Amino acid sequence: MTGDAVPAYARLFVEGLKEADVSVVTALPESLLASVYRLCAADNAIRYVQVSNEGDMPGICAGTYLAGKRALMIMENSGIRQCCEPVARLAFQHAVPMVMAMSYRGEWGEQNWWGHNHAQTMAPILDALRIPHRFVTEHAEIKPAIARAFKHADGSNWPVALVFSGNCVELPAYAKD
Amino acid sequence: MQRIDAFRAIAPTIAAEDLVTTSIGATWDDWWNLKPDADNTFFTGVLGSVTSTALGLAVSLPHRRIVAFESDGSMLMNTGILCTLGAERPPNLTVLVFDNGIYENIGGPPTLTSRNTDLARMAEGAGCLNCATVDSPDALAERFSAMLDDGEMGYLVAKIEPGKHPWEWKDRKPTDGIEDKYRFLRYVERLEGVVIHPGAPQN
Repeated sequence: MTGDAVPAYARLFVEGLKEADVSVVTALPESLLASVYRLCAADNAIRYVQVSNEGDMPGICAGTYLAGKRALMIMENSGIRQCCEPVARLAFQHAVPMVMAMSYRGEWGEQNWWGHNHAQTMAPILDALRIPHRFVTEHAEIKPAIARAFKHADGSNWPVALVFSGNCVELPAYAKD
Repeated sequence: MQRIDAFRAIAPTIAAEDLVTTSIGATWDDWWNLKPDADNTFFTGVLGSVTSTALGLAVSLPHRRIVAFESDGSMLMNTGILCTLGAERPPNLTVLVFDNGIYENIGGPPTLTSRNTDLARMAEGAGCLNCATVDSPDALAERFSAMLDDGEMGYLVAKIEPGKHPWEWKDRKPTDGIEDKYRFLRYVERLEGVVIHPGAPQN
């Protein structure tokens, strides 16, 4: 990927990871954060671990945390449904802090019939797991949100979630007038 | 070979400086009693996340030997991790699966390895290196020891007979998941000379 082809949100995202000392990114790629996955996979300063199921990511993040390093898991918001069991157990049984980033499929104006349930179920599941989440929609919010997410997770010994939408995802037709 | 025989065969090869994750169940009590005199084990209370937690340790501490003590029930819950292992092939990670073909802790209904599933062949097909199955303590000790030091990942399935070692109540693992985290976390802090969980913010 050339520098010109990198969307600003993705560049800021990955810069924010480095400024927060994130050394491991585990992800199941999807379309809304597509440039983030490509940048992470190509970056020698980040160990990018691709999984086939979101349920693998909480363990990878927990192991990285217990090693004294920082990891981020990235997925579409539908992924919280796959990974809520290991997230719940690592949180409630072991009090392991964890930072998850997810794209907000099902944003206002979503035209795909299959995308709406992702938005409808995301917040109730996060609330049920007592996981605080914040939306990140503008470029200026990206780096502070990432930095504060790790502080919040470490301070609370609990998972937190960042939900990317608006100007902080690729350019889905539904999100632009 | 029962699980306790398998553990006794490989326990001397695990050093206090190695880091270990373990599957839930009777495995905990066996390893609690046989592990080196160190808090080098994260007793992972998450069926299906034992190997992924070990993978996180392995990629973050590439200079250290990492071991995952898996069970057939835990592996079967999340076989997708085999594909991630096959892609990453962490050279410092050894996975040992105790496969008794049953969910022993809940009374013994069969797992699917009692039918047609071969975990070592699944791992090999997923791209994992050094995949093997053993069924005796001597073969287990030999293969496991070699896997620890060969500079490549290893995936070893130990076929074991059902049966739990009858530990007395006072000898069973006395800790819960929170204490398990802190014991392990503080041990890694001392081992690696790092601060993972400070008592107060640094700034």
